Amino acid sequence: MNIVDATDRTEKLDEGEAPSLLTIILDTNPHAWALLTESLSLSKAVANLLVFINAHIAINHANRIAVIASHAERAEWLFPALARSQKDSHANGVHGDGEDMEMQDGEAADSDGPSLPRDDANKYRPFAYIEHVLLSNLRRLMESTTADALSSTPATMIAGALTLALTYISKQTQALPSATTSAQFNYSDATAVAGGNEMSGDGAKSQASMGLSSRILILSVSGDLASQYIPIMNSIFACQRLTIPIDILKLAGDTVFLQQAADATGGIYMALDNNSRAGFLQYLMFAYLADQAARDHLIMPGEGEGVDFRAACFCHRRIVDIGFVCSICLSIFCEPLQDNLCLTCGSHLSMGNYGQKPVVVPKRKKKKRRALADGGADTPASDRGTPAP
Amino acid sequence: MADSDHEYSEQGSDDDIPTRNGTGRAGAPRGRAMASRPKGRAQAKWEAAASSNWELHEGADGSIEGVLGGLEEAGKRKRLLKDTTPLQRGIIRHTLLILDLSIAMIEKDLRPTRHLLTINYTVGFIREFFEQNPISQLGILGMRDGIAIRVSDMSGNPNDHINAVKALRGMDPKGSPSLQNALEMARAALYHTPSHGTREVVIVLGALLTSDPGDIHDTIKSCIKDRIRVSIIGLAAQMHICAEICRKTNAGDENSYNVAVDEVDYRELLMSITTPPVVRSTDTEAQRRNQAALLMMGFPSRIVEEKPTLCACHGNLTRGGYLCSRCKAKVCNLPATCPTCDLTLILSTHLARSYHHLFPLRNWVEVSWARARQKGSTQCYGCLAPFPHVPAAEERSEHNGTRAKRAEGASESSRYECETCQNHFCIDCDVFSHEVVHNCPGCQSSAHLPGAEEEANGVEGESDAMAT
Ligand SMILES: [Zn+2]
Ligand SMILES: [Zn+2]
Ligand SMILES: [Zn+2]
Ligand SMILES: [Zn+2]
Ligand SMILES: [Zn+2]
Ligand SMILES: [Zn+2]
Repeated sequence: MNIVDATDRTEKLDEGEAPSLLTIILDTNPHAWALLTESLSLSKAVANLLVFINAHIAINHANRIAVIASHAERAEWLFPALARSQKDSHANGVHGDGEDMEMQDGEAADSDGPSLPRDDANKYRPFAYIEHVLLSNLRRLMESTTADALSSTPATMIAGALTLALTYISKQTQALPSATTSAQFNYSDATAVAGGNEMSGDGAKSQASMGLSSRILILSVSGDLASQYIPIMNSIFACQRLTIPIDILKLAGDTVFLQQAADATGGIYMALDNNSRAGFLQYLMFAYLADQAARDHLIMPGEGEGVDFRAACFCHRRIVDIGFVCSICLSIFCEPLQDNLCLTCGSHLSMGNYGQKPVVVPKRKKKKRRALADGGADTPASDRGTPAP
Repeated sequence: MADSDHEYSEQGSDDDIPTRNGTGRAGAPRGRAMASRPKGRAQAKWEAAASSNWELHEGADGSIEGVLGGLEEAGKRKRLLKDTTPLQRGIIRHTLLILDLSIAMIEKDLRPTRHLLTINYTVGFIREFFEQNPISQLGILGMRDGIAIRVSDMSGNPNDHINAVKALRGMDPKGSPSLQNALEMARAALYHTPSHGTREVVIVLGALLTSDPGDIHDTIKSCIKDRIRVSIIGLAAQMHICAEICRKTNAGDENSYNVAVDEVDYRELLMSITTPPVVRSTDTEAQRRNQAALLMMGFPSRIVEEKPTLCACHGNLTRGGYLCSRCKAKVCNLPATCPTCDLTLILSTHLARSYHHLFPLRNWVEVSWARARQKGSTQCYGCLAPFPHVPAAEERSEHNGTRAKRAEGASESSRYECETCQNHFCIDCDVFSHEVVHNCPGCQSSAHLPGAEEEANGVEGESDAMAT
């Protein structure tokens, strides 16, 4: 029981194998899954995912798991379960109608975690527990989704799910000294500041053998994420700082940002098409089961492939490979601005010499001549000797 | 000298993070008065520390635990509460770090010595600087034996600087520093930097003297003319000339001169410099003239090649690299300027790294027991950690004691609320969300934000309706 209860922090490790926390973000966008019913239905995918989760748990008794649903209009925990109170209408049914779902669904609502599954002598209890919690939460999530909500928001809340995953990982990592916390991060960690004069950064990697190593796996089915560009990028940088790889298994849709996420964090990116989707479980088991330590010794898929690093422009959400960047706020635009005013920060921008020659620095000839005239003569004083005090 | 290092740091150098970060607006109105000395003297920090007692009072049950927990949380939060108004910040920075390598750095008042501590902190500073300012340039100079020495050239590669700084460990501090020589060398190094970036000089000064070959006021004037901003971190005590340099080069704003009282303070001061500086109003005028520019940049994609080919930047045989978006020349690393067509090549992720300065996450507010009861929050929305139990309503009078007991700045219910999504978070998630991920887990997780809708509709007390 303790093994799967991710909130347990007292458990001590007695063997060399470092535990790893796998956070799975399941894109449950109903629109996208509806398109996939032919080759892989959601229920089949979840069944396969459970096998994968069991494999992860079975590898090391201290391994942990967390599952978050990135749903159409909200991101929600599937495992571990939320502790529910009678007043907490928040996680469920934020919009006016169609809430109260959880009230009727009394069995899963218990502040001590959901009710336990029936004891099955043929099933390893942690497996049964995870399966029960995950399925009942997913069912409740689906039941609470109204047609209204669906029609209004066709996207998926990947940015929210990623942020939830990160806060959870951060808390779990604090509870257990981490292998993944890098020196760069330590600076902003309040506890590390008080540490004073440690050799920042040098020895941090060497002590990586123990502690919790975390990774995130995103099962993505949705396409366009350009509207969440900034929060997704923020999450990616946080992962980079914490050295948490983001693995992506793309079942459908196409987005350049998730590929960049995997590349920036050292995760694995794979995209399945209609034929390969049937082998979903096999891809999961062979490509994504290995943790960071094991990956050092394996040739992982996706290595040695080009990566699309194009950006989304702020004005039309177009994907561009040459863009115009405001030097004040770094907003990206796909074409020269009409009245030379930045759409994001409102600064007045000169266009440099766009169109004449490929130079990104605006002219400053005049300035140079003036600076030479009155400042040039006494500049090289740096090597002049100084009288001793 | 070792004993005097607590003395002159003005109040506010530590407690007052908002002031330091928001210098632009505070300093702007005083533009004309920059040369005059500030009137009076604020209470120094050590005086404040000495006069304030440890305001620890045991709880009714004689336990001190709640007080200490509150203090710790308050400390974490103090670090967080910064000004979140989006400001124009100089994101393309050109910064020169000037380290004191004079005899004063042998002092052991900062452990192990000022010199070694500075080197260690500088390595961290370099990493953090490029983390926060990925498309900026850094250079490092030293002041030693009366002259300025070059430690590393302006470059955007953190490893160059880290190696150069680590090599300083073997070099013993010697002689006296010269601010003038260092500033002149910095001025020369910053001379060729493009005008759309900032020009900054950061000086770490351990000594209480500067031995200059000429009139430093001439140098200060040239620095103002060249738009160079100087900030100085003193390790010993406050010096008039340092205050003057900072005041004059920062348009009358003296917040860029600070004296570190101890190791922690020193580290904080140094790290605070990694945050991109606010663009001053005077700069905005200058921008109108010739600074702000729309830069054309390429976002090349990475390619993989079967056979090695020559890269355009070094002429080395490499397999794979990035193709210039315009001329298809191959470069091996980003960010770079295309050697063939001069286009700036960059990863979009480099740009995006600075967006959290432009769209900062709003501070979260403390949650009273009454509010916690109203929302019925039992666990942190972000990390699922359980909150302390909400006392029943009739117990409230008793728990007023608890409220007074918690240190100022910490929430009495250990909950912090994002006003936009009205979710409750623990202190760890508060710190993490504001310092690391820069997203609110709640706001990103829901398409319907009660706070935002409330603001839009002007509806009061809608959360009551929601809670029922
Ligand atoms: Zn556009
Ligand atoms: Zn702009
Ligand atoms: Zn090259
Ligand atoms: Zn080119
Ligand atoms: Zn939390
Ligand atoms: Zn929020």
